[in-house]
Amino acid sequence: MRVAVYSGNIPSTTFIENLIKGLDKYGFEILLFGKLKGTVNYGKNVKVYPTPVRQLPLIFFIIKNSFILMMKDPGKFFKAIKAINRKNKSTGAFLKNMGMILPILIQKHDIFHIQWAKTVLQNPELFELLDSKIILSLRGAHINYSPLTDKKLSEAYRKYFPVIDGYHAVSEAIKKETVKYGAAGDRIKVIYSSVNKDLLQLNSEKEPAAGSFEIISIGRFHWKKGYHYALDTMKILKDRKIKFRYTIIAQGKVPEEILFLINEYELNGEVNIIPGMKFDELIKRLIRSDMLILPSVEEGIANVVLESMAAGVPVVTTDCGGMNEAVEDNINGYIVRIREPELMADKISEYIRSEGKSVPELIKNAKAVIEEKFSPERQIKDFADLYSTTLNS
Amino acid sequence: MKIGLVLPEAPQYSETFFKYKIRNLTDAGFEVTVFSNKPGDDSDEIKCKIKSAYPVYEESKFKQLFFIPVILLKTFLLNYKNSRRLFELERGDGISFSDSLKSVYINSHILSEKVDRLHFGFMTMTLRRENTAKAIGAEMSVSLRGYDVNVYPLKNPGCYVRAWKKTDKVHTISDYLRDKALKTGLPEDVPFEKISPAIDLKQFSLKSEPGKINKKLNLLTVGRLNWIKDYETAISAVGKLKNRGAEVTYNIAGSGPELERLIFCAYQLGLEKDVIFHGKKSHGEINEMMEKADIYLQTSMQEGFCGSVLEAQAKGLLCVVSDADGLKENVIDEKTGWISEKRNPAAFADKIEMIMNLSEEKRKEIALNARRRIETDFNLEDQKERFINFFKP
Repeated sequence: MRVAVYSGNIPSTTFIENLIKGLDKYGFEILLFGKLKGTVNYGKNVKVYPTPVRQLPLIFFIIKNSFILMMKDPGKFFKAIKAINRKNKSTGAFLKNMGMILPILIQKHDIFHIQWAKTVLQNPELFELLDSKIILSLRGAHINYSPLTDKKLSEAYRKYFPVIDGYHAVSEAIKKETVKYGAAGDRIKVIYSSVNKDLLQLNSEKEPAAGSFEIISIGRFHWKKGYHYALDTMKILKDRKIKFRYTIIAQGKVPEEILFLINEYELNGEVNIIPGMKFDELIKRLIRSDMLILPSVEEGIANVVLESMAAGVPVVTTDCGGMNEAVEDNINGYIVRIREPELMADKISEYIRSEGKSVPELIKNAKAVIEEKFSPERQIKDFADLYSTTLNS
Repeated sequence: MKIGLVLPEAPQYSETFFKYKIRNLTDAGFEVTVFSNKPGDDSDEIKCKIKSAYPVYEESKFKQLFFIPVILLKTFLLNYKNSRRLFELERGDGISFSDSLKSVYINSHILSEKVDRLHFGFMTMTLRRENTAKAIGAEMSVSLRGYDVNVYPLKNPGCYVRAWKKTDKVHTISDYLRDKALKTGLPEDVPFEKISPAIDLKQFSLKSEPGKINKKLNLLTVGRLNWIKDYETAISAVGKLKNRGAEVTYNIAGSGPELERLIFCAYQLGLEKDVIFHGKKSHGEINEMMEKADIYLQTSMQEGFCGSVLEAQAKGLLCVVSDADGLKENVIDEKTGWISEKRNPAAFADKIEMIMNLSEEKRKEIALNARRRIETDFNLEDQKERFINFFKP
């Protein structure tokens, strides 16, 4: 089976790259389209068809590929010109769009797997021009809040979702949200992301009573990550005279709001912000912590929580997105209502008071759920199932 | 007497505050020159001269290399004494040779003018202009406003240390802002004048039936949608009220960078029909919205003073505000409105519920107290006189 994995960029984000590698190993023929943004090293089943970025090479690329498509399928070529001309007002945009679409139309594929839902708005011509079955991945923000403010996006979703052949949703929660835009529920398969198995061998290296209680959060600065609520929680812990340290590992500039709250709550001594770091270092840091918290208001399923569970570090998460599909309160971690910093403070206090008595059981359960639901083998098998069911539908 | 006002840009159509202030000063016989960072034309309407700074040509290194030396040369030739003095003062503060030259460049539109008082409308405008007043033989005064004092120094610790030392007089809109400035290095003995914002009582006349509330409660907030206003707390409070069985509509007038975050918050709490984002509204429209509203809500994490809360009190609206420092001076708890703990939605919901359960008579008493206080303490005539006094030598 020939599967085109389309995200717009080559290479793409970590989880899409992992998916490509997994599918390659499984024996699929993979085709990648988009802009080449860096060096790539894929297996023999992966073929890359990059579109040039600079204008002159792009023009030559378009001339060459137009000729090829015209020879192969003149009807489709003219249809493409018409659709792309209708959509793009400027010559620059027309050229970029042509450069992107031509290689996709020339190559044959059985499944065209779109990684980002917003592509539906940006490249609706795909639905007109492609003969292959289309599968769309449904992830966090693109479904959960972008269409709430972007009318054009929600209209595009309503128009095209009913005609898409198959969906991959990262959680049951996102599946439910997508159905609201007219997608048929039976075409949506929930496929959980996978966790690196090596993490299962790890265990927390932090002695429960050694020093102050170490709390950690990992993830970029964005309002949806709810760090402002986490700081409310820290203030409550401090008011309760609990000795702790809270480390946020996040890329990018620290937002004014976060600086303001740290200052307002006088948490300079307790809160430590570290810019992003490499995955290996991140994991080392994680296993030296007593607890990972996820204060988010929106997520698909946060990978960092899954990784923490695999590595034997207890988690407290908000009940946002699909988090409750991984975390079961008091069984394999702790879960609290969104936007309730006091409840999160209560959970942390309670945990500290219990001196980690239930930890061994909790960790065992956490590792078990990761092994069962979030293994790379299961993920790739699920994708294979989705592809074959969609192809035969 | 000649006054130079240093502002980020020339007062625009919408900025009634600065336009009104300038007109009062020119009417009182002051000669006003506005020094702005962005180009603007002399204004007949407010009878003042506008001089704009030379651009820094950030977009083009070539232009920088060509224009900056030419303008520097011109500045030194035409205003040798002032330019040299500024350069020497900067060097005396330990500023490097090239940065001292940059300061001369940045200030070249001011160095050519003779004014008796150089007044900075915002503290951030004093950066790189700490010695400008002294160089041209003028007194230096500054206005303290919320963002400049509360937030900017968090990102740039110690940024005002030099400016504070050179300031001759301070205008503050609240006691708290001056306290905060003292904490960051403003010497105690620098004279200051507290001049709070004032309200046009004719424009914001008392609403009909003050103290009466609709069966379906109409809540209102007016202001930019930015993080410091903490609308998430307000929206969560509305959610709690609704969960307790109250019928509520929450109207928000204002635009800003947090729209997506707030629409998502309302959606997530099941309030998409109960929280209405109206976007930016004109003064007239705000007046109308206040006429229809029952309770004005201001949940800000921090405020310098907050003009909207004054307007709401002038209308005779029942005001519930957070205990942010500036707001505690704006509203007298249980006399002209109510104060509630910031970042605590449950506390806000309790307050609002309590107000709903008060007798109409009691509510009317509070509304009328608020109106009376605005009439006596925050009227435009008083403010005008105090500003004139502030600028007198």
